[in-house]
Amino acid sequence: MKARLSIAALALVALVAAGCGSSSSSSSSSSSNTAAASSSGSSSGNCAAAIGLEAPITGSAAPLGTEQLHFAQLAVAKDNAANGTKITLVQGDTQLMPAQATTVTQQFISNSKIVGVVGPAGSQEVEAVGPLFGRAGVGFISGSATAAALTTGKNPTFFRVVSNDSVQGPQDAHYIVTHLHPKALMIVDDQEAYSTGLVSAMLPVFKQAGISVDHESVNQKTTDFSSLVSKVSPQTSVVVLPWQLAVNAQQFGRNLAEQHKNAVIVGTDGLFSPGTFSINGSYVSSFGPDITALPADAAIAAAAKAKYGTFGTFGPPVYAATHVINEAIASVCKSGQTPSRSNVLAAIRQTNQPTSILGHPIKFASNGELVGGKFFLFKINSKGKYVLIPNA
Amino acid sequence: MHKFVQEVVNGLTTGSLYALIALGYSMVYGILKLLNFAHGDVYMIGAYIGYFVIQWFGGPAAVSIPVPLLLLIMFLLAGLGCGGLGVAMERFAYRPLRDAPRIAPLITALGLSFFLENAALLLFGGQFRLYNTPEFISFNTGIHIGAIQIDIVRIMVIVLSVVLMIALTLLVDRTKLGKQMRAVAADREAAEMLGINVNYTIAATFFIGSALAGVAGVMAGLVFNQVTNTIGFLAGLKAFTAAVVGGIGSIPGAMLGGLVIGMAESFITGYVSSTYSNLIVFGILIAVMLVRPSGLLGRVQLQKV
Repeated sequence: MKARLSIAALALVALVAAGCGSSSSSSSSSSSNTAAASSSGSSSGNCAAAIGLEAPITGSAAPLGTEQLHFAQLAVAKDNAANGTKITLVQGDTQLMPAQATTVTQQFISNSKIVGVVGPAGSQEVEAVGPLFGRAGVGFISGSATAAALTTGKNPTFFRVVSNDSVQGPQDAHYIVTHLHPKALMIVDDQEAYSTGLVSAMLPVFKQAGISVDHESVNQKTTDFSSLVSKVSPQTSVVVLPWQLAVNAQQFGRNLAEQHKNAVIVGTDGLFSPGTFSINGSYVSSFGPDITALPADAAIAAAAKAKYGTFGTFGPPVYAATHVINEAIASVCKSGQTPSRSNVLAAIRQTNQPTSILGHPIKFASNGELVGGKFFLFKINSKGKYVLIPNA
Repeated sequence: MHKFVQEVVNGLTTGSLYALIALGYSMVYGILKLLNFAHGDVYMIGAYIGYFVIQWFGGPAAVSIPVPLLLLIMFLLAGLGCGGLGVAMERFAYRPLRDAPRIAPLITALGLSFFLENAALLLFGGQFRLYNTPEFISFNTGIHIGAIQIDIVRIMVIVLSVVLMIALTLLVDRTKLGKQMRAVAADREAAEMLGINVNYTIAATFFIGSALAGVAGVMAGLVFNQVTNTIGFLAGLKAFTAAVVGGIGSIPGAMLGGLVIGMAESFITGYVSSTYSNLIVFGILIAVMLVRPSGLLGRVQLQKV
């Protein structure tokens, strides 16, 4: 019995040690980035603060979450070097789940060093954490939460650097109607706020155009779409998948191929994942541009690629969001104050950047909405490359 | 007509997977009266083993050995690996609690499920691992009659599942081990008094049930392409439902329950709406429980007082 207990205790200790090792190494990695950056800054000063990052670093959306983490780390390092600040990044893994995001948010709120937060990634998460951040007076900026309802007053300290679904949904739907000319289409939501919001924004456009619409719904954990694909009739030439998980859309595309069906997939932001979603002829609309095609972003794109490899469109908006908070902290310090939640929040509200990594200015309306943002549409070619469709 | 056939094939594929996983739930419950909630995670580990075998042999686009041999190795290693995992789980997590109140092993099973899920996260990372099956088994192989398209992988899954279920039935009905398993399930103490090695029999039951789940994990990877540390939860839940619908503790019941759930899912999605799929599937569970609390093929347990 004693031997058994010893083995169990040893296993437990090993697991805890492994877990702690993993977490401490990741946090020290981000700290070392920022420390190195601050030491190379023009003037070190005493402008020290911490910002939180809420992203799905593990779980089903880990590919986009790790990209967001990498770009946040890049922004902190670059801005520390440029502004002479000592900003550190505290990571919070939400796994794209509102419950987990709530737990992380409570931890951030109880950490008095955190004066602003980047994220969370999903609209459903913002819905869950917005009131908490609002009560604590913490400004938070998402680089990917696009549900239109998020800026209607429930989340007073929420901002985003991307446009909302009321822009994207109708824009995508109009493109489908005018360029793909379907007589019938299938639209499938993934039962999350992001997805259902986009579907609600698209349906009126399809109905007005007289298109026969089969609206379906699947859970994000679904991995077999063969029965759903068998409902795709010969008249159904377009399948719209406003999903967050590219891997599921790839499987949907494979099920289409398996049943020798030729409907074109049109997806939204979550499907922008060149390594994962590569169904030839599909369309993907995204809140972020392909920054590798923007000359002004060449240095950042090269640095990101050298350090982290290929990336999609989820990282750059988080870079922009992190940059907004970094600049807000720097401006507070320049005015002679110590960064706090309230003065950083006030500085975020005053943001007026004439240009950004996203190729457009960043300025917020009084409800936290980005002023003058837009969406980008890409078509996937036979090599799996995402080609921007100009003026789509 | 072709849509009906397509739905039958879809239903048989997912139903076969549920049935293979449900067998493990049912066998363990039959012999120990334990709901092994970690069983879905054993299936997840099997799917990972299959993925790593593909990588070891050059990856999906450049498999260095004949595909049938690759598949054989995937199934064998997943079966053996998961079987071994099942035996280890029984030995270190459940056996010490065999005479404890029933709530204790139940909670341990839940804890073990989280342990396996998070151990996989720690070891393999949170990202999806993709089998990319079409890169080494073409969609063009299989049965194509008019509009009916049946992929070779689905045919393989259905045939292999049927073979495994027949083999298990023969093992339980006609071998010495099967007789021992039935004896232990009927009355563990009496079986022990008759000289049956109860520990060995229970370990063998865990091995067989877990091996079937491991094979199901590889099949799922081949058909659904994606593996991550959380896939065991939903599959395990559906398989558990299948085991209960069929009559938990009954091996033919687990097979029938798996097929009922798989076919129901497929036909509801194909002919009604995917939106209501889970609602109706779990509605079936409630309806069966109301009409036949012991499940479709389960036997009413008499309580000895």
